[in-house]
Amino acid sequence: MSGAGDIVLDVQNLEVDIPTPGGMLHAVRGVSLTARRGETLCIVGESGCGKSLTSLALMGLLPAIAARRAERLSFAGEDLLRAPASRLRALRGDRMAMIFQDPMTCLNPSLTIGDQLTETFLRHGKGNRRSARDRAVALLERVGIAGAAGRLGQYPHQLSGGLRQRVVIAMALMCGPDLLLADEPTTALDATIQLGILQLLAELQREMRMALVLVTHDLGIVARIADRVAVMYAGEVVEEGSAAVVFDAPRHPYTRGLMDCIPQPGRTPPGTRLGTIPGLVPSLVGDMQGCAFRGRCPHAMPACTEPVAVRGDAEGHAWRCVLPENALERAA
Amino acid sequence: MNAASPILELRGVHKRYGVGGGLMARRRTLTAVAGVSLRVERGEVLGLVGESGCGKSTLARMILGLEAPSEGEVLLDGRPIASLGRLERGRLVQPVFQDPYSSLNPRRDVASIIGLPLIVHGVGTVAERRDAVAEMLGLVGLAPRHAEAFPSQLSGGQRQRVAIARALVLRPTLVVCDEPTSALDVSVQAQILNLLLDLKERLGLSYLFISHNLAVVHMLAGRVAAMYLGRVVEEGEAGRVLGAPQHPYTAALLASALTPDPSLGLPAMRLGTVFPNPLALPSGCAFHPRCPAVFERCAREAPALLPCPGGGRAACHLTGQDQHQAA
Repeated sequence: MSGAGDIVLDVQNLEVDIPTPGGMLHAVRGVSLTARRGETLCIVGESGCGKSLTSLALMGLLPAIAARRAERLSFAGEDLLRAPASRLRALRGDRMAMIFQDPMTCLNPSLTIGDQLTETFLRHGKGNRRSARDRAVALLERVGIAGAAGRLGQYPHQLSGGLRQRVVIAMALMCGPDLLLADEPTTALDATIQLGILQLLAELQREMRMALVLVTHDLGIVARIADRVAVMYAGEVVEEGSAAVVFDAPRHPYTRGLMDCIPQPGRTPPGTRLGTIPGLVPSLVGDMQGCAFRGRCPHAMPACTEPVAVRGDAEGHAWRCVLPENALERAA
Repeated sequence: MNAASPILELRGVHKRYGVGGGLMARRRTLTAVAGVSLRVERGEVLGLVGESGCGKSTLARMILGLEAPSEGEVLLDGRPIASLGRLERGRLVQPVFQDPYSSLNPRRDVASIIGLPLIVHGVGTVAERRDAVAEMLGLVGLAPRHAEAFPSQLSGGQRQRVAIARALVLRPTLVVCDEPTSALDVSVQAQILNLLLDLKERLGLSYLFISHNLAVVHMLAGRVAAMYLGRVVEEGEAGRVLGAPQHPYTAALLASALTPDPSLGLPAMRLGTVFPNPLALPSGCAFHPRCPAVFERCAREAPALLPCPGGGRAACHLTGQDQHQAA
């Protein structure tokens, strides 16, 4: 098993606050995560759960208005909370890289993809133009782009969405990062193209022994690619554990509810109604007491209004719920 | 009403667009839809699946009368759509679009958004229209107080409910749903899918349900048609098409649908990722450059859409030879 030395990213009690006219919005509330070398961690949740802000906060890319606090935020043993901006700039794009959802908006439309691929490499002083070009061609080939050398002079608009996302992945990998953070990298793509990109990410993660943190709303992706899963709701991680355990025996009613919402060919007979989660996500403005899910939870009880402690077992499965452990188990 | 005719029938429908052209460049023809024939019977849900650019939304626009086919016929309720007036058409077929953020007028409140089709069609008095809007709100699961809300005050799921209410207020027979849940969160998607099922049963609606999500289609549709580059490549009863796909493309689509089962890894995908240029379609079968089961005849000769074992139709030279599990 992986030891402490393999921990690439370690964050304890991350908070992100955004001032709004109505009061302070607590968008991320006490998130603790670790990502290990050679491991894929998926952060899953619905819109507004704070998963994207969490990933931006980890990279130090939050908008200026947002305030970040944490007990610990370390990258490969280095304290990022106290690191100067210059050190963060040196790490970002080099040892920690990020892929965003929309490949069109994160590629510069007026620069060739060759310029964009080599920029980080040159900026981080990894070599000269010649070696940058060679690396770019090699990586484009690696991400499955045929005729890579000829593509360097092309502009983003000349590529399809799937190819653009492959270019973005190649860009992120130019310096051989230890941590790759991917925020909804396939959401804008067709299912067939999505599968190709996920296969590529999984292969590269193994090959380069990176820690891959994948942020997504799609439980299907999580089930197929994740080693570990963190389920977020209303700014908190409500459940975390190995993918097999979280999917087979969820301990938090929100995780269970999410799973019941997905139609599954073969298991959901045509015409049957899907499970739903009634109600809406609570407002995160102002202070919140107790479990954020209690207003929508079929198992809510008086204890839910008190602060809910994180419980866990020896296998690293942790959840934030007061229910008895077997409360959500189902007859198979 | 003609009870014998299907609510929707497409006969050899083509749609071609001229693109480019200028001082030096030759104007070229993009064939978005190339000879599609399909039927939707009363009370039936036909699921239409395919990747972006396969022509499924163009087809929807022709069925809604927003575009005229270049060739072929669209029949609503047995009558050619070209012979129907705008108002007549609006009473037969209505759309629900993907993005509830851009399909609702942000400056109108919910009651006037839902009530607008009634005013356009001159249905009822002011009081009757108000009652009709109130009834629709209840039908789609919105509270009476939402009547005065503006779209910006509603969540994505609530907005999609408003879009559905607007589509149903004239009591159409056919609703064209173009990716109605793709922009929504999974828990909201489940609510909207349940609502569409309820409404279909209560109002006897027929849906043309366009989606790239096969799991969603499987839950809703009685029949499924798969489109690739403007052509229907497979069509048939949903259980058969999704249970035993005969076309390698349908099989590949099915394989790329990721079900939340952690015991399965990422499926192997032997589908080429080279998406063909719709301006220069491949010879023979348009799918052959990506097909894992391709052989010499495929590049030469386009397969016809023929009946296949187990029911339905498929356009593949290998149909009936049971060789497509490969994809």
